[in-house]
Amino acid sequence: MIFEVIERSLRQPNRVIPVETLLGNCDGSRMPEVIAAQLTLAIAQRLVEVCPTAAFRIEEHDRRPRLKLSYGECIGCGRCFEPSDRAVVAAKSFYWCGHAKDRLVRIWDLGSRSEVAPLQPEPKAARGQIDSLFGRALNIRQLDAGSCNGCEAEITALTNPYYDLERFGIHFVASPKHADMLLVTGPVTRNMANAVKATYEAVPFPKLAVAVGACGCSGGIFAGSHAVVGPVEAVIPVDGYIPGCPPTPAMLVTGILEVLRRCTAKTVHRSSDRRGPSSNDPP
Amino acid sequence: MNANTPLPIPTVEGGPQGAMFTLPHVKDGCVARLVTVFGSLGPGRERRVHYVFDVGTHDYKQMMLPVEGAVRSIALQVPAASWYERELHDQYGVEVSGHPDLRPLVFHENWPDGVHPMVDPVDRVPWASREYRFLTVQGNGIAEVAVGPVHAGVIEPGHFRFSVVGDTVLHLELRHFYTHKGTEKLFEETLVNAGTMIAESVSGDNCFAHAVAYSQAVENACRADIPTRASAIRLIGLEFERLVCHISDVGGLCTDVGFSVAAASATRIKESLLQASSECCGTRYWRGIGVPGGLRFDVESRKVLELSQAVSLAARQFSDLARVILETPSIQNRFETAGILRGEAARELAVVGPVARASGIDLDVRRDHPYGHYDRVQFEVPVTHYGDVMARAKIRIEEAAISARLIQQTASALPAGNVLTPLELRGELYGSSAVESPRGELYYWLEGHGGRLARCHIKSPSFQNWPAMPFAVANNIIADFPLINKSFNLSYSGCDR
Repeated sequence: MIFEVIERSLRQPNRVIPVETLLGNCDGSRMPEVIAAQLTLAIAQRLVEVCPTAAFRIEEHDRRPRLKLSYGECIGCGRCFEPSDRAVVAAKSFYWCGHAKDRLVRIWDLGSRSEVAPLQPEPKAARGQIDSLFGRALNIRQLDAGSCNGCEAEITALTNPYYDLERFGIHFVASPKHADMLLVTGPVTRNMANAVKATYEAVPFPKLAVAVGACGCSGGIFAGSHAVVGPVEAVIPVDGYIPGCPPTPAMLVTGILEVLRRCTAKTVHRSSDRRGPSSNDPP
Repeated sequence: MNANTPLPIPTVEGGPQGAMFTLPHVKDGCVARLVTVFGSLGPGRERRVHYVFDVGTHDYKQMMLPVEGAVRSIALQVPAASWYERELHDQYGVEVSGHPDLRPLVFHENWPDGVHPMVDPVDRVPWASREYRFLTVQGNGIAEVAVGPVHAGVIEPGHFRFSVVGDTVLHLELRHFYTHKGTEKLFEETLVNAGTMIAESVSGDNCFAHAVAYSQAVENACRADIPTRASAIRLIGLEFERLVCHISDVGGLCTDVGFSVAAASATRIKESLLQASSECCGTRYWRGIGVPGGLRFDVESRKVLELSQAVSLAARQFSDLARVILETPSIQNRFETAGILRGEAARELAVVGPVARASGIDLDVRRDHPYGHYDRVQFEVPVTHYGDVMARAKIRIEEAAISARLIQQTASALPAGNVLTPLELRGELYGSSAVESPRGELYYWLEGHGGRLARCHIKSPSFQNWPAMPFAVANNIIADFPLINKSFNLSYSGCDR
């Protein structure tokens, strides 16, 4: 019987998606992309109205209106495609993740209809660089701080034969004491706040904590609830952000690589001196 | 469509211990199956308690009791009401007299006594440290094992307190609600059209079932019909979600017994489906498609057919895989007789979904209370009475095949036309709706005024089924707990909300 199973497995074609195809891919996430040339103030105002999580905002800068899009708040609902099907479309690729929260933000000048300081997507990371980053084994502990289980479903998918995270030397471990990185999902609920802190403290230095999903980055649709303390950074120091609701496995791979690339040994070490926020702290 | 009678008043017996009503019965003299119990506020912010029963007719029987002082507990006659009454006590501060166990359920040690979010202001709730007592089992050689809330794996948080003798579990006490996000309170004041987004975030892997249940409740409140093309595509989405969920569960069961090759095959089949879904409608989990009135956007018939082809390939591969799994002696050894949930316990706790059907309860909202497109399709409801892990695995395998057939049947005869009916939402809305989600009966009840929601209650199948799990775990070895837990496949977030 077991031989039949093994034989069938061997007959299956190799499904592994090459890492070059994964990086920047966001199919199935419905993250918005703004087409700057089509943008008008009226459309921008409609975008602010329809967005349920205030990911779109209009700001004044030098008395000129600017449209600001913060992907950390975006739940991928697609309502922003409605005001104008040409000004906002589903993104074809997505790089707005990484070590700092300002990497999740894009700004467009509504007067000149152009993006302010656009992020230059880096040339596709060279194979050698990816190997050297991922080549060192990385142990990840996933921590659900109150998620809806959507992010967990996608994180679980990372180990399936299409994404096969183990090929990069990345393992999911059972104990925070074995982990290098915490992938923290969900808004931190009041009932989980202490467990999240204790889990973070149990991870040995050097350690990285990455906020995953709209809820982890900003609180998402649950921001402001009486039963929620806030996004992950309200409770523990955060070294990286991966937006999406939920982020697809390809977005997770891109995000993990991006965080690793930015967090050199030096910055990770420095985080040992940092402590969590002191205000709004649960006891 | 499901019950839409706005707030009938039941027979109320007053009394020193609080108000009580006559429990509805079904034909054979048994008390009707409890669907849910929840609170709401009347026009003068007076508290009310709603009871919903399945009396065997198409529509559920809804009753409403005004709270004057206290309400009398029905938990001793209807054990399934126990958690609902504890939640009512936590959220509304309703005194439930005669309840055997009124310890806090939803709020933990950090929540102050006397703050009830559905009636009190909750802008700044101070941190407290009150006591919570687990039930202690005493006797020679009895040890306690505490597990969670953070578990070893990519799993949601919850706490399990086992009382064991050696390897054998005598008693398991659940402590959940770690992922409680105040979801029902978040619905208040939300625009009726925007409520879907909150509903989709209740349980991430069943988000389409939640979106449809919410939308149907709004449509029932408006007494509106949606275009047949929309209801047909909704059926495809609901069955797709069930198929993905069941394949994932059977793979998870294999993981928990160390059968990695089969588990990997199941994840591969599941991923092929998610990618096909992404191709078909731009989302892997059907998020952001269902809205009150139909669908947010149309899906091309050609793409639906492509999805249906991917489904039929995946279903073939899964049924091959399932045959191998079920014929493997070591699997039979682990699955059979593990975690038996007896029909009697299942009935008393009003268990729903595949777990109920594996314990001999013939129950399926799609057939018993048809909604949407389900009265236009033919399907069987598999039922078995063994109640063990194997029975639950087999039910899921059979249901996966049936879901695949329903998708093909519907996709090949997809009606033409538009997919969205505009709804008039500004009036007084009272509506409810039930959907058979992959985990069982999911029920939404909502009330709205002037285009905004005043109250939305979610009866989640996981909330209903969790209290039954300790009965399946008792007398098993503690090492079988992960397997039994997986065979129930309950959502923590769906339960905790």
